[in-house]
Amino acid sequence: MTTFEHCVRCTLCVENCPVFKVNPAFPGPKQAGPDAQRFRLDGERSVDDWVKLCCQCQRCQVACPYGVNVSEIILKAQLKYSREHMSPFAAHLFANTYHLGKLGSLVSPITNAVTSSGAARKIMGVLGLATNLPMPEYRFLSLNRGRRRKGRRRSSRKVVFFHGCYLGFNRPDIGRGIRDLLSGLGCRVVIPGQTCCGLPALGNGDQEIAKKFARKNARMLVEYIDQGYQVVYACTSCGLTLVHDYPEVLELPEGRKIAENTYNVHELILDLLENDAPDVAFGEVDRTVAYHIPCHLKALGIGYPAAGIFEKIPGLKTMILDDNCCGLAGSYGFKKKNQQTAEKLGTIAASAIKALEPEILISDCGACRMQLGHYTGLPALDPSEVIIASLEKGATKKSRRKRRIS
Amino acid sequence: MSAYEYDAVVIGGGVSGIMASLTLASKGFKTALVSRGDPVCCLSTGCIDVFSHSDEPLSGIRALLPDHPYSLVGEKGIVDALSFFSEIMEEAGLPYEGDPGRNRKILTPIGSTKCTCLVPRTMAHADMPSNEYLHVISFQGIKDFFPGYITSRHRNSTYSVYDAGVPTTLGIAARFDDASFLDAFITWLRGLEIPHDRVALPAVLGTIDPASVVEKISRAIGRKVFEIPTLPPSIPGLRLFRALKRVMQNRGIHLYWGKEITSVERQGCTVEAVTLATTGRAKRVQGRAFVLATGSFVSGGLFAGRDSVRETVFDLPVFVPVERRDWFNTDFFSGGHSIERAGVRVDRDFRPVESKIDNLFACGSILAECEIMSLQCGHGLAVATGVAAAKSCAQGLS
Repeated sequence: MTTFEHCVRCTLCVENCPVFKVNPAFPGPKQAGPDAQRFRLDGERSVDDWVKLCCQCQRCQVACPYGVNVSEIILKAQLKYSREHMSPFAAHLFANTYHLGKLGSLVSPITNAVTSSGAARKIMGVLGLATNLPMPEYRFLSLNRGRRRKGRRRSSRKVVFFHGCYLGFNRPDIGRGIRDLLSGLGCRVVIPGQTCCGLPALGNGDQEIAKKFARKNARMLVEYIDQGYQVVYACTSCGLTLVHDYPEVLELPEGRKIAENTYNVHELILDLLENDAPDVAFGEVDRTVAYHIPCHLKALGIGYPAAGIFEKIPGLKTMILDDNCCGLAGSYGFKKKNQQTAEKLGTIAASAIKALEPEILISDCGACRMQLGHYTGLPALDPSEVIIASLEKGATKKSRRKRRIS
Repeated sequence: MSAYEYDAVVIGGGVSGIMASLTLASKGFKTALVSRGDPVCCLSTGCIDVFSHSDEPLSGIRALLPDHPYSLVGEKGIVDALSFFSEIMEEAGLPYEGDPGRNRKILTPIGSTKCTCLVPRTMAHADMPSNEYLHVISFQGIKDFFPGYITSRHRNSTYSVYDAGVPTTLGIAARFDDASFLDAFITWLRGLEIPHDRVALPAVLGTIDPASVVEKISRAIGRKVFEIPTLPPSIPGLRLFRALKRVMQNRGIHLYWGKEITSVERQGCTVEAVTLATTGRAKRVQGRAFVLATGSFVSGGLFAGRDSVRETVFDLPVFVPVERRDWFNTDFFSGGHSIERAGVRVDRDFRPVESKIDNLFACGSILAECEIMSLQCGHGLAVATGVAAAKSCAQGLS
């Protein structure tokens, strides 16, 4: 077990911190993490309000060659600070994004009209919300409404899809695409009722709400795991919460079991392509794409499995970018106090992308797509959308060939 | 979950491991690179020290004992590897200059000079004759960069200070990426009407395209402009690493970053896979051959216990020249220390000796007898042995 005492102060974490790069008020992960940890005592009130400026991208932790859990130290300090101080209204609001999403999608036409109106934007400003970014649109036909099972019942590969709030409420079309993609590759897919993974609550300092969400999901997921299902996530932040925060931060008794049975959707697809369905035909996608790696995919340490699938798609030219945080970091950039930081980071990441002159931007994370789609003006897609497009093309080519033979 | 088998898996994300993986990928092998974190090269000056013990690196290397890793590579191998490195840096948009036949002396923040071989283009003019006049620019509040140190040693020099709005090297470098900030800086610089031929700045001139920033400033003020490497967080080190990583990704090398190797799967004399302590569930990375480039003590490739030295991934036999009480010289700065010679011994094909593993190769500072500190040959040795070990590995694969 590595602790803050193993830090040798090499500053590699500092070199990788996006917030430190653009906001002089944040002393950087070395000071906010291991250095300050020596002075944080139980029973003594926190005084380090700057600790909340950390956006929890976890780049410091990935960079640390000594295995110090830098961002986890900072997260725990943030939670301690929030426990001891009154949280601003915006934090309470974002801790409950799930409930907002549920309501927002139920009355989606009204939500979308209201959040884009000028008057509402003014009110948002007063409440401490950033007003420079368009709010995400909500869809009525969320993933909780519609077909929730697909694929052969007796299939040996059974997966339970943890789609998270963004695919659930804002982009259910991508969620349904992933469901059909997995069932097409021979999986039995189940989309059970689920709540928020809990990350927005953790990020906004509310451990209790996070735990409530997590317990509910954990009970449901373990039931499926015990029946031989594998858990699959598409949102890399939800994924990281399931495999890291459930056992380590929220200390759920089921956490370990969930972590051991949870897969990134592209990790699973890559495995299916290598082992179960090697003769799948990919159609040509003649596009140059910039693949922005979300910080939390990096933090998972599983490599970039979607890039492995892209290599199989003829015509697709992929350029990987993994050095920049998009700056939105979930709800971080939606808060007024972080607006400038998020704007600067968004601009930096966007100019790195635009320098490559891609036609399309791809990212696994809904928040990254929202932010960078806005700053680059490029169409921003989920990796699965590209994979599905290629497979559809490949399938038609194959069926045409079959027809010709018969 | 069984996955994907790579032709080669390189362990260690420093200069040596990266050069090894680029060599393997250039020969068409499907390559993965595994690293438990960012490499020590990010903390370095970004310069490539080939052999700083003498003014002419190649002739200095010729005089080395036959068991030094450089002797295994040979002079042609070293020169070829360095030119491969230069090609890659050119492609990455971070051009390097220098000649393996001759070292140069670049200015440091304390006014002394550092002997090195290849330097980023932003430091091309850093090798200056002592009788020339110099103007140093520093930044308000920047740590560990005091122009007074330089002016006290170079009586022909003067300095000015610019307020960039942030005091940190990373913060200032990020500002130089922004064209409007650079324009404002140039306007200020012009106003100084510097009479001297050369202008030096701490190495904070942007994170993305520093060579263009230096060129733009030089053109605007009509002076030779160069960067002085700073203490960590070192921007030239970060640029070097990021540029190398970019090329790796462009060439289809798969990276597994930030997780330690917890176990190794062996079948007889063959390593089949390594397991990473990935968040949640361990991840297997399978390969036909492996290259070990985990570095020495600082990088964690070697671990010194009370009375032994351990190799941390495969538990390979480690050569330790003397008893523990003789590891260090009483004088820290002169003569070197015996412990520097410790490491993994390899044969002519860079296979660790007495390891009983057929598909493993080693390169970089983990090698025995390399004496990186006293010979000052860190990055040069990393480049040369990285390429050489990868070539052997490629031969073994085909």
